[in-house]
Amino acid sequence: MDEFQSGEETSFVVEEVSNIIKEAIESAIGGNAYQHSKVNQWTTSVVEQTLSQLTKLGKPFKYIVTCVIMQKNGAGLHTASSCFWDNTCDGNCTVRWENKTMYCIVSAFGLAI
Amino acid sequence: AGEAEPRRAQSRRRSRAMEEFHPHNDEMTFNAEEAHNIVKECIEGILSKVDYNHNKVNQWTATIVEQSLTHLVKLGKTYKYIVTCAVMQKSGAGLHTASSCFWDTTTDGTCTVRWENRTMNCIVNVFAIAVVL
Repeated sequence: MDEFQSGEETSFVVEEVSNIIKEAIESAIGGNAYQHSKVNQWTTSVVEQTLSQLTKLGKPFKYIVTCVIMQKNGAGLHTASSCFWDNTCDGNCTVRWENKTMYCIVSAFGLAI
Repeated sequence: AGEAEPRRAQSRRRSRAMEEFHPHNDEMTFNAEEAHNIVKECIEGILSKVDYNHNKVNQWTATIVEQSLTHLVKLGKTYKYIVTCAVMQKSGAGLHTASSCFWDTTTDGTCTVRWENRTMNCIVNVFAIAVVL
């Protein structure tokens, strides 16, 4: 209730979403090394777990979750996003994670219904 | 049609032929092909003649998303949009992306454009969420 006094049931709480994403990443790929044959499965698992935890929050939001996993080999990767929405109630949260062999970037967008 | 019924159910029973001429908000669907063309033109306008350049990439990705968004909004449809762009230098690394959406499958939609040249890969995603007025 600290920062989100009005309508805390219907606002996009970045910290809460960020924790959900971190848990999903850790459980899907934490401790694994980049493996071409498994990556598709990992990205799918991260987005699906994140989405299901978000919907369990029971808030009146539509969600979009994207995940990018990139092998570490010196290549540059840049991402950008732009949104046309209602600033008062919609929000997003991006989590960057890495280990010795790969980068993982997960973004979650929440749009109030 | 019954006044007590929710607007959405009511308009689904109206003639489907009316859809194209008088799209009601709840009959709208996302035109992925149109979005695909818009985004492809934006990417080509910015990246077609250049090689990967670390100093400029941030500027390019920002311009691609902003221009794409501006053109999509100009279509004048009652949608909220999210446009994301990833540009990666070609160096043999593997890149995988996935996305999952919790929304209204009848009105909302997505479109992904993949583009590449000799030195880089570019992936742009557009997500469109109908606004229920």
